[in-house]
Amino acid sequence: MIVAVTGKGGTGKTIIAALLTHFISQKTNSILAVDADPDSNLPDALGVTKLIRKTLGDIRELFQVSRDEMGTMNKEQWLEGKIYSEVICECDNYDLLVMGRPEGEGCYCYANSILRGVLRKLMRHYDYIIIDCEAGLEHFSRKTIEKADYTIVVTDMSKKGLSTAKRIKELSGELNLNFKDIFLIGNKVTNKEAETLIRRFAEENKFKLLDVLPYDENIAELDLRGEPVIKLPESSEYYKKVKNIAEKLMELQVKVM
Amino acid sequence: MAIERKKIEIPEGVKVKVSVGEEKEYPFDISPMYEGERIRKGDMFVEFGGPSQPGFELVIALPKDQVEDMKVTLIGSDLDEMQEGQAYPYAMIYYVAGDMVETDLEPVIERRNHDFQNYIEGYMHLNQRYDIWIRIGKGAVKKGLKSLIQIAKATMMLYKNELPFIEKIEAVYITDKNLVEKLLNEIAMPIYEERDKRVEMLSDEDVEEFYSCTLCQSFAPTNVCIVSPDRPSLCGAITWFDGRAAARVDPEGPNRAVPKGECIDPIGGEYTGVNEFAKEESGGEYERVKLHSFFEYPHTSCGCFEVIGFYMPEVDGIGWVHRGYAEPAPNGLTFSTMAGQTGGGKQVVGFLGVGIAYFRSKKFIQADGGWYRTVWMPKELKKRIEKYIPEDVRDKIATEEDVKTLDELKEFLKRVNHPVVTGVIRPVDGKKITEGWKEEVVKEVVEEAPPAPAEAAPAPAQPQPMPMIPMMPMQMPQLQLLQIPQIQLPSAPAAGIKLIIKDAKIIIDKVVVRKEEKKGGK
Repeated sequence: MIVAVTGKGGTGKTIIAALLTHFISQKTNSILAVDADPDSNLPDALGVTKLIRKTLGDIRELFQVSRDEMGTMNKEQWLEGKIYSEVICECDNYDLLVMGRPEGEGCYCYANSILRGVLRKLMRHYDYIIIDCEAGLEHFSRKTIEKADYTIVVTDMSKKGLSTAKRIKELSGELNLNFKDIFLIGNKVTNKEAETLIRRFAEENKFKLLDVLPYDENIAELDLRGEPVIKLPESSEYYKKVKNIAEKLMELQVKVM
Repeated sequence: MAIERKKIEIPEGVKVKVSVGEEKEYPFDISPMYEGERIRKGDMFVEFGGPSQPGFELVIALPKDQVEDMKVTLIGSDLDEMQEGQAYPYAMIYYVAGDMVETDLEPVIERRNHDFQNYIEGYMHLNQRYDIWIRIGKGAVKKGLKSLIQIAKATMMLYKNELPFIEKIEAVYITDKNLVEKLLNEIAMPIYEERDKRVEMLSDEDVEEFYSCTLCQSFAPTNVCIVSPDRPSLCGAITWFDGRAAARVDPEGPNRAVPKGECIDPIGGEYTGVNEFAKEESGGEYERVKLHSFFEYPHTSCGCFEVIGFYMPEVDGIGWVHRGYAEPAPNGLTFSTMAGQTGGGKQVVGFLGVGIAYFRSKKFIQADGGWYRTVWMPKELKKRIEKYIPEDVRDKIATEEDVKTLDELKEFLKRVNHPVVTGVIRPVDGKKITEGWKEEVVKEVVEEAPPAPAEAAPAPAQPQPMPMIPMMPMQMPQLQLLQIPQIQLPSAPAAGIKLIIKDAKIIIDKVVVRKEEKKGGK
C-alpha cells in the first residue's frame, strides 16, 4: 500500500507522515518512508536525521559525473547498488528514502529512466510506503514514483490550505494518478466552526474525511526543542487520533490482501 | 596479448566441497518477482562482500572439454559454519562453454548473475564485478537453505534456462579470505581491465547493430539518437553497451536495435540502416544522417546535449562549448543561445550537439578533420578530455584564457600555426579538406609581423594553392548565421577606411559601421 501524504506547506503533513510511519512500523518492518518534499524534513520529524547519508538526488548527480568512466559496467546495477547501500536508510523498524535535491542542468532522461525502474522494483516489496510529498506532486508528474494507492491531503483552517487541497485533487485527475481514494485530514483545528467548514468542504469536493485533528501545543514545543514529533505523549488526543488513522489504513491493507 | 583463460588453481590445505548434477528441489522460491527485494540488516543471516569484505564475480569462457557441467566447488566455510550477523568474503566464478560462447560474451553473461541471483527468494545481490554485496535472509535459512552450493546450482540452472547458448556451466564459490583476495588481484582485476580496454578499441565497423534512443522524444519529437561504439548519445549517458543491454531486456523500449545495413560513407559514417531508421522515427523529416560529420547531414540535436559545436566561418574552424560555461564563446554566443537554435531534434548545419564522451571517439567528426578542425573550447572542457586530443594539435586549440573574441582567435591560430590556417588534412584518409585562409584582409597584413618562423607543418609543405576557386566548406550557403559578429574595423586615425576582401562569399543581413571610441590601439 502506497500512501502519499500531501498538502500546502505548513499544514503539518510531515508530522502526520512521520506519525503514520511510526505507528505502522510498530506492527511491521515492511515499511518504507519517503521524503519527497525538498521543503520539509521527514527525517527530522522522525528523529533520524543523523542516519541519513545520501539522498537520491546526490546519487543522481554522482551518476551524471561518473558515467563516462564506467566502461562496460552496468549503469543500472551501479545506481541500484548506490541506492540500496547509501540512500536507503535502515532505521530500527522501517526504511527511509530521501529524494533530495531536484535535478541540476543537463539531461536527466536516462538517469531518471533507470531510477524509475529501480524504485519500481524496490517499492513492490514493502507492505507500506508512506510518502511525504509536496503539493505539486512533482515526483508523480515526473513518474520517478509511478503511483500511489491512496493520497491523504492535509489542510489546516486556512482558506489557502483548502484551496491547495482542491488543486491537488484536480492535479491528480490531470495526471491520471488513479488513486483508489483521496482522503482529507483537517489539522490544527481550534474551533467548531472551522471543523464544520472542513467537513462541508470534504463533502462538496468528494474527499473522504479521515479525521479533524486539534491543535496540539506539545508539537510546537517539541519542534522548538528540536525533538522529533514521534515523542508526542501517548496520552495526547492528537497522538491517539493519528494512531487511529494509521489503524484505519492498516485495515484497508488487510482488506486488499 | 589477451589474458589466458584457464581454471583457477585450488591451493593445498583449503577446505573444499564438491557437488555435481542438478538439484532436485530448492528450499526457496525462484522468480523475477523477488528482484529488488531488500534484506534489512536485522533480517539478515549473513552477508558477503560489501563494504567490509572482499568479493567479486567473474565469468570465464573456456573450451567445452574443460568445463564440467553443473559442478560446484565451494572453497572455504559454508553457511552452516557461519555466524549469524557476520560478513564474509565471497567470490563467484563461473566457467562457461558452448559453440557460441566467446571471450567477448563474458561480460554479457556476467552481468546476468545479478538478475538471476535476485530471482532467489531471501537472497539479495547488489552491484557488480569487485563491488558485489550479498545478503542472505534469516527467513531463507529457516526455510531450509543450508549451503551456498544450493545457491550456485540455482544460478547455474537459471543461466542454462535463460541463455540456452550456454551448453556447459561450472561454478567455483570461495569464502576463503586469502584466496578471494589473491584471485581478485591476480585474475579478476586484470580481466576487468582488459575488457574495458577492449571497449575503447571497439569501432563502428566491429558490430552489426547500433542502438537508438528515443527517451528524449517527449521534448524533441523528431530527434533520433543513434548510439554506436564510436558515438555515445548526445546527453552523454548512453554508450553502445548500455544500448545493447537495454535492447536485450526490452526490445521495444526506448533503446532499440538499429541494423547498420550497408555502409554508404565510411568516413562520414553513413549507413543505409541508420538512414531508414532516421526517416521512420523522425516522421520523414530527415532522410540521411552521418554519424561522424559536422557539415553534411549531421546527427540531429535533441536539446539534451552536453556540448555544442559551432562553426566559425571567419577562421574556418569549429569551436565547442559545454553546458556549464556561461560566458559567450568567441562567436559572441552563449551555450544556451546556440542550444536554443539547434535543439528540438533539428539537423542544423553549422551546429552540432554531442556528449562529452564523443570527444574520446576515434571517429570524432572525422569527416571534417576532427581535432585538426577544432580551434576553441573552454578550459574546463579541454582539461576534462585533454588526453584524447592528439598531441600535435593540443596546444593549438585556444581556450577563453587565450582568446575572447574572433579577432584574438585569429591571431592565436596564426601564431600557433593551427592547421585551419594552412588547410586541414583529415587524418582518416589524408585528404586536404580545407584550403586554409585566403588573402588576408589588409588590416591584418598591417598589424601582423611576418609569420613566426614556420613550424614544421604536419602537412607536406605544398605551396598555397591558387586562390582562384573559392573553396568554401561544403554547404556554406545554407549556413544560418545567427548573428553576424561585429566587424571590428581598426580605429583608423583618419576617415579613410580601406577594406579589401578577395575570394569571399559573405551573406550579411545588416552592417553597422560606427566610429569606435578611441582605444589604445596602434
